[in-house]
Amino acid sequence: MIEELRQKARELLEKGEVDLVIGYGEGSDPTRTMPVFIRRPEDCDRLVWNKYCYNNLTSYLTWPELKTAGKPAVVCKGCDAKAVVVLCKESQINREDVVVIGMSCEGVGEPLLGKCEFCDVRTPKNCDIVIGPEIEPLSKEKQYEDVEQLEGKDAADRWEFWRDQFSRCIKCYACRQACPLCYCTQCIVERNQPQWVPTSSHPKGNFAWNIMRAMHLAGRCIGCGECERVCPSNIPLMLANKKLAQVVKEQFGYESGYDIDEPLPMASFMPEDSDELFK
Amino acid sequence: MAEFKLNRDKLGELVKALKGEGYRVVAPVEQERTFVFEEVDDPGEIRLDVLRTKRSIKGWFFPRVEPTLSYEFDGQSVTCKSDLPESPPKTVIIGCRPCDAASLPMLDKLFDWDYRDEYWFKRREATTVISVACDAPDSYCFCTSVGGAPDGTAGADLVMKKTSSGDYLLEPATEKGTAIVEAAKSALDPATGNEEILVGEVPQRFDLGAVKPWLDDNFDHEYWKEISYKCLSCGVCAFVCPTCHCFDIQDESTLERGVRLKSWDSCCLPIFTRHGSGHNPRSTRDTRYRQRVMHKFTYYVDKFGVTACVGCGRCSAACPIDMNICTVVAGAAKLAETST
Repeated sequence: MIEELRQKARELLEKGEVDLVIGYGEGSDPTRTMPVFIRRPEDCDRLVWNKYCYNNLTSYLTWPELKTAGKPAVVCKGCDAKAVVVLCKESQINREDVVVIGMSCEGVGEPLLGKCEFCDVRTPKNCDIVIGPEIEPLSKEKQYEDVEQLEGKDAADRWEFWRDQFSRCIKCYACRQACPLCYCTQCIVERNQPQWVPTSSHPKGNFAWNIMRAMHLAGRCIGCGECERVCPSNIPLMLANKKLAQVVKEQFGYESGYDIDEPLPMASFMPEDSDELFK
Repeated sequence: MAEFKLNRDKLGELVKALKGEGYRVVAPVEQERTFVFEEVDDPGEIRLDVLRTKRSIKGWFFPRVEPTLSYEFDGQSVTCKSDLPESPPKTVIIGCRPCDAASLPMLDKLFDWDYRDEYWFKRREATTVISVACDAPDSYCFCTSVGGAPDGTAGADLVMKKTSSGDYLLEPATEKGTAIVEAAKSALDPATGNEEILVGEVPQRFDLGAVKPWLDDNFDHEYWKEISYKCLSCGVCAFVCPTCHCFDIQDESTLERGVRLKSWDSCCLPIFTRHGSGHNPRSTRDTRYRQRVMHKFTYYVDKFGVTACVGCGRCSAACPIDMNICTVVAGAAKLAETST
């Protein structure tokens, strides 16, 4: 697969179809990889593909610096490619302005990351090029088991759970910076005239930030899990994201990152929308 | 020369003895699949074998958020009171690595520069630091490239050195360290002088002497763009770093009362240098990442005569996209070599 990836990338650059390829390169140790931006066909041998290709590289697509860099191709796992769908739907990028290179993927990490256990896009969808064999999707039947387990607790225990988890937040905003859908040019926590959300990492500030981050991704989060992976305090951020995804699925029958034409649940109204959320 | 050693099975007794003397004991413990320094109740939780905790010990002197003063408004006048802790608890930090300990005297210079920061110094005075020499450094370590050593004593009051039998020789470096040995004598055994000390090797990764002159001359070098275009601009590197010390001051208030808070901040975050006018002199990732390197390897040296990096490798290990500061600085050193 690596050779095929390098070959495709080389062709894209040689033919002038793209100006740069955003992919994975060798990391500082064999269990890591580092994003690379490749502009010259002869540099395509720097691209790698292995089970340590964690990053969701689509988060680079909305960077102001990239707007002047020409047309990009981006190497995606199936989960990452879902972000491209959302970025297009939310008018952040034009689909024709990016070439998506999807990589067949049997999961990343050792042991496998949690998200990979319920992956239905091991063969990526919505890509321009797919590299690698067709891989059977996995069942998503038990994807909300961890959410349901937490919901089995009473409200006081859940409150305590999240209080303990959020108490470890150090407000480094790595969750936000790594997220392909946290693309606001000015995040609300950076609006400081007045300071709407407390920036300090005390309990109030941590609750405000973490709940707001999750809520802002309701109906949008594609489940790439980068926020949780990069968190230096190992806060289970995906539990909150998944809960909201579950609610949106139940209420609106919508799953984020699959269909480029389906209306966005949080940005559209339909008469048949459920009113259950407004109690 | 160590007079005493701690038998590997007697750590619990040591902790008990120190607690008996009124010390609060802080040590590396496991927390949610990672390691951090926390106050310890059960000595069995202490993990002296952990090379690199996720965050450094700086939070025990410079908390990630702390109130500095509070104020009240009664409709007529404002009354202020300082939130400076009168006497922080007598604390012993046990099990930090020599690189973490070395960060403390380095930061003393900053916190005693144009203004003496009593919030820092009161905790410094109340705290005794026991470091553990590194017997198994890893590929992220580069202390020897920035003037440290896996068995360095800078900033430590007492250094524990692991022996081939798994015990620890205790070498006091200050009076505070000697006081700890006295306080914990019941848990210690005499050293025989025949113990074999295990100290790992950290290869020198770059020539520090070559780095600063190159940085001074190459503020606008293409290198900064090349290395930092992929930086996510989060604050992980600064927040896990033992020497990053920038902070933000924010008032949180209602109409009647408020509190002035000092919180960790990071030069990599986009808002860090945004002016009131909206102008941001460091509006791009490369300028922000360059600042992080420049501050550590040249500005701090100009101001205080020391490099503000201890080579712990935390920022590199924690970086979401695998930016490795040692590689970055080694790259600068290499450019220095080729440009002369």
